Amino acid sequence: MSTRKRRSIFEIINEYFENLEERTERFREVLIEKPSWDRRACTMEPLRNIMVTPTEVIVTVDLPYAEENTISVKSIGGDTIEILAKMKRKIRFDDFGITHHKGEFETLYCQTRVPLPVYMDKMELRFKKGILEIHLPRKHEHEIPIE
Amino acid sequence: MSQEVKIIERKEISRGAVMLFGFPDVGLVGVIAASHLISELNLTEVAYMDSRLLPPLIVLHEGLPHSPIRVFGNHNVLLAVSETAISADTIYPVMHALIDWGRNKNAKTMISMSGIPVQDRQDVKQLKVFAAASSPEMLKTVQDKDVQVLKEGYMVGPQAIVMQYCANSGIPAIALLAQCFFNYPDPEAAAELLKELANIAEIKVDISKLLEKGEEIRLRARDVMRRTQQEMSKMKKTQEYDIPMYVS
Repeated sequence: MSTRKRRSIFEIINEYFENLEERTERFREVLIEKPSWDRRACTMEPLRNIMVTPTEVIVTVDLPYAEENTISVKSIGGDTIEILAKMKRKIRFDDFGITHHKGEFETLYCQTRVPLPVYMDKMELRFKKGILEIHLPRKHEHEIPIE
Repeated sequence: MSQEVKIIERKEISRGAVMLFGFPDVGLVGVIAASHLISELNLTEVAYMDSRLLPPLIVLHEGLPHSPIRVFGNHNVLLAVSETAISADTIYPVMHALIDWGRNKNAKTMISMSGIPVQDRQDVKQLKVFAAASSPEMLKTVQDKDVQVLKEGYMVGPQAIVMQYCANSGIPAIALLAQCFFNYPDPEAAAELLKELANIAEIKVDISKLLEKGEEIRLRARDVMRRTQQEMSKMKKTQEYDIPMYVS
């Protein structure tokens, strides 16, 4: 007769988090496996980062060569923002020594999803040292009072 | 040297040189600093790494294949650099093989060049460079040069292995860490690191071109930064932000 070892609740929780981590990693790899440029749209995708504080969500975007007065940030569908900036000069593949692709890029472009509810209409922007900071105040929809 | 990792020499190697390491990590500080050193000091490729532990990848330069991990050098400097992010699974044998090889060449000091992330980096006017050392004697050397010591905390990544392995093997080693962005290429941080390298190891280069080409470097380095970020997350790089709990 086969004996089945009973697993502790800690083993089950550990396994759950390990699986979750593995799935997140696979999802991240799927997202990363695409070019960071789009030849048809003449755009390059900038690097970005999201931070959450108790009061706001801060999205930062690295925008090398961006013309400050062309930077535009738009809200799409309430939980996504679209960032666009013209570059000071056109960048060609040749500029990087690449000869097997042809194309030139004049815009930095990306879309990013905001992980928590925010007031898009109260968005504030800062641009410093080539880094765009997008400050989005958080919406605290369901605050639970302490009894 | 590990059988899994081979260092193939292409030229005669100078003995008694300072051995530097520039590997992908936060802000790509080490790699950017290494690239600048190679071009300013006219360093040539003296050796390369061959290993099945590395991904099936070559780097093409002028149509010819190269290993992503190479050693450049001249009569007094050896510089190990990687053009690709090293995975957490292979980083130990890769770094150990390079350190063993450097020890066989009588490298007098090993210096790992990297960064240390700082919050709100874009608001920091003067970036600091910190150092850690493999022995009390090396620590005194950096303190005598007025470099701030990284007293407490965690270190994760290639420089952690350099520090640990050199400390265990009695090899004099230093880790130089410039304050930088966590996940954006940071040429300015690389320039600050090179100033401190000149102070510590007398390896002096003009950093003006590096600062002039800052935007180009940031644009060009996006893909390497993205891949490095992926590997850093597997290595739990954010542990460097943690406050350690020492048990004495």
